[in-house]
Amino acid sequence: MIAATPTLAAGASDRPAGRLLSWLLGSRSSYGDAMPDQAALIEPHIPGLRRFACALLHGDRHSADDLVQDCLERALSRWHLRWAEGDVRGWLYTILYNRFLSDQHRRQRRGMHDAALEVAEAELPGVEGGQYSALAHRDLLRAFAVLPEEQRSVLILIAVEDLSYEEAARVLGVPIGTVMSRLSRGRERLRYLLDGEMNGGQRRRSATLTRVG
Amino acid sequence: MTPADRPVDEDELHAQIDGRLSPHRAAAVDAHLAAHPGTQERFSQYAEQRQALRAAFAAQAAGPIPDRLRIARIREERWHRRYRQLAQIAAAVSLLILGGVAGWAVRDVTGPLAATGVGTVAGVITADAIAAHRIYSVEVRHPVEVNADQETHLVQWLSKRLGRELTVPDLSPAGFRLMGGRLLPAEDGPAAQFMYENGSSERLTLYLRVGVGGETAFRYHEEGGIGAFYWSDEGFGYAIAAKANRDLLLRIAELVYKQTSPNGARAKIPPPPGKPS
Repeated sequence: MIAATPTLAAGASDRPAGRLLSWLLGSRSSYGDAMPDQAALIEPHIPGLRRFACALLHGDRHSADDLVQDCLERALSRWHLRWAEGDVRGWLYTILYNRFLSDQHRRQRRGMHDAALEVAEAELPGVEGGQYSALAHRDLLRAFAVLPEEQRSVLILIAVEDLSYEEAARVLGVPIGTVMSRLSRGRERLRYLLDGEMNGGQRRRSATLTRVG
Repeated sequence: MTPADRPVDEDELHAQIDGRLSPHRAAAVDAHLAAHPGTQERFSQYAEQRQALRAAFAAQAAGPIPDRLRIARIREERWHRRYRQLAQIAAAVSLLILGGVAGWAVRDVTGPLAATGVGTVAGVITADAIAAHRIYSVEVRHPVEVNADQETHLVQWLSKRLGRELTVPDLSPAGFRLMGGRLLPAEDGPAAQFMYENGSSERLTLYLRVGVGGETAFRYHEEGGIGAFYWSDEGFGYAIAAKANRDLLLRIAELVYKQTSPNGARAKIPPPPGKPS
């Protein structure tokens, strides 16, 4: 008969020695019970992070996934710094956006230009039964890619990712009034660019007439 | 003016299509749009645009999450990275320790004796043997403490002091006869010196220490015109020193080895009977 061995591991990471051991052994044990939580709290937001990254990087999916990976690595290494109120999503989007800005800054310092304004068109699937064909999606994304980055970020966070205006302001690090004006200008610009494709020839003609007049 | 009566602004129209409008303003916004058909048309296009963007981006990020974006995978990578860093630190620390140990180990060899090419014990014994030879071989009146005519007593006395039964080699085949011997202080205990002389009054000394581990081959070192062969065997460290050429010293060293080592053809002097006086 073998006696049950008492489990010593439970609660070890609460004590200083446990924390040191945890650091030495790395994340495999450092977060103890928090480990499944991390995956459960982060992974639901990965599709959204990929969309956000795609929107920032003009649809370059590979670079977008690089950015997301970078973001997730930082999130894991700074897990203890996550926002106290438990808004993991907003915190993740903020990390990703800040990474994007610093990458952008680095590229500009090196004198490199923005990635070509190209949407990865070949892989765009059609949406069956939807109002818009794959062609329409392509046109929409191409028009979207023409918008300035600040309008793209606001539109993706609010219109696609369903962040509140306050949450978007926090992620982007700007006042809420700035978010509203960027949203307004972004929507109008996109409407202008898509006028015709989305709304039919009739409207395009009238819009043209309006602009000429 | 109640909140419901407040004029509708552009932000509220956006809030309506984003589903962020507070319910008590819904009626005011609807009334505003009804009164402004142009604005209503524009915002209905924004609403369509919103749906189209959602569909387009949903399609763009469709498909399963790639493996490299899985939390478990990223955590694994981080663990490996940290493990590699730890391994590097450990390697660096081990190298430092190894360097320190090696430095400590060679500290005695790094003097003039480094040229002997022998280890610490061999170097020290050789140096002591040469120093003792230099001092006592030039003595005219008191080259030895106990004379060869009291050989039995000499051997018993030195055996007792060194704690091991000593053998005094017979070097007459090389033309040397025993003059006698003396007790000497050494690093961590006593040492014995036996002195021999040949017909030309040339002297050589055999220096002995106990507690020397291992067995080594003959190693030659020369200092200030005095040559010495050192070897260790059966817990003894031997050094034979003389102002002589290397070949002669080697012959004598071999002679001593043959008589002292069980591996050599031993010609042991039997322990004398009775107690020392």
